[in-house]
Amino acid sequence: MSSFAILKLEYSACVEALAEALRTEDEKAFFAAVDHIVHMREPGMFTELRKLTGDLQKALERFSIESKLADIAENEIPDARARLNHVISMTDEAAHRTLDLVEQSGPLAERTAKTAGNLIDMINAYRAQSTNLQGFEGVARSIDAYVPVARALEAFLPTARADSELIRRNLADVLLAQGYQDLTGQIIRSVMKLVQELEAALTDLSRLSGDVVEHASMGENSSAGHGPAVPGVTKGEIATGQTDVDALLSGLGM
Amino acid sequence: MSKDLKFLVVDDFSTMRRIIKNLLIDLGYPNVEEADDGKTALPMLQTGNFDFLITDWNMPGMPGLDLIKAVRADGKLAKMPVLMLTAEAKREQIIEAAQAGVNGYVIKPFTAETLKEKLDKILGPGK
Repeated sequence: MSSFAILKLEYSACVEALAEALRTEDEKAFFAAVDHIVHMREPGMFTELRKLTGDLQKALERFSIESKLADIAENEIPDARARLNHVISMTDEAAHRTLDLVEQSGPLAERTAKTAGNLIDMINAYRAQSTNLQGFEGVARSIDAYVPVARALEAFLPTARADSELIRRNLADVLLAQGYQDLTGQIIRSVMKLVQELEAALTDLSRLSGDVVEHASMGENSSAGHGPAVPGVTKGEIATGQTDVDALLSGLGM
Repeated sequence: MSKDLKFLVVDDFSTMRRIIKNLLIDLGYPNVEEADDGKTALPMLQTGNFDFLITDWNMPGMPGLDLIKAVRADGKLAKMPVLMLTAEAKREQIIEAAQAGVNGYVIKPFTAETLKEKLDKILGPGK
C-alpha cells in the first residue's frame, strides 16, 4: 500500500467526522475533529522542526569554525611561517657566530702551544749544554747561552697573555651566542599553540561533516629523506647511534 | 697523498658544511669545496676535479640519495668514494643507501673521531 493510500485511510474518517459536524452544525464535534486532524499532523511537524533547528545550529557552528579557519589561514599561518623563518635565521646566525669564534681561537691556542713547545726545547737544550760548563768562563758562557732563551721568553709571554685573553673573550662570546635557544624556543612554542588550534578546528569541522578522517602518513617518498628521527614520533626501526649503523652495515658486508 | 685529495661537501645547511670543512682541515685535508644540494654538486663532480664526496641526504632540489645514484650511474664517477653524513636513521634507509653504493654512512650528530674513522676505513692505510 502506498504512503498516500495509508494517509487517505487515516484522514478520511476525520474528514467525514468534520463534514458530519458541519452538516449537523455540532460545534463540539467540529472542534474535536479539527483537534484530531491537528494532532495527527503534529508528530511529523515537530520532527521536521527539530531537524531544521539542528541543521541551523550546525550551520552556525560550521560558520564559526570556518571563519576561525579562514582567519588562521589568512593571518596566523603566514605569521607562523615568518616566525619559523626567523628561527632558522637566528640559529644560522648563532651557529656561524660560534664557528667564527672557534675558527679565530683555534690558531691562537695552536700558536701558544707551538711557541711554548719551542721554548721547552730551547730550555732543555740550554740545560744540557750548561751542565758541562765549569769555572768563571763556564758561568759567563752559561749566561751568554741563556740570553736567547730569556729573549724568546720575553717575546712569548706578552703574546701568550694577549692570545689567552682573546680566547677567553671568544669563549665568553660563544656562551652568549647560545642565547638563541631561549628565543627560538619561545617562538616555536607559539607556533605549536597555533598548530593545536588548527588541529582542534579541523577536528570539529570533520566531526560536523561526518567525514572519516584517514591519517595520511607523511613523507613516504624515502628518496627525499625524512629528516632527523624524532623520539616518539618517527615510526619504524631507527638506528639509535653510530654503533647501530656500523653493526647494520657490517651485517651487509660493508 | 691525503693532503692532495679534493673533497666535495654537499649539505643544504651552510653551518654543517662549515663544520665538516673545519674537521677535514683538522684531519689534514685542506682541499674542500662545498655545494648546497645534489643539483649543484653533480656538475661540479662531473668536471673531474674531486676525489671524495661527502653528502647529506635530506636536501631540497636533488636529495643525497639521488646524487649518489647519479654518481654511480656516471662512468667517470662510478668509482668515487662516497660518505653519507646524514640525520636519516631508519634502518631501511641505511640499507637503501648501502644498496645505492655508499662507502660509509655516518649519522648526525657525529663526532670528529667517527668522521676520521670512516675516512680512514674508506681511504685505506697510508692515505
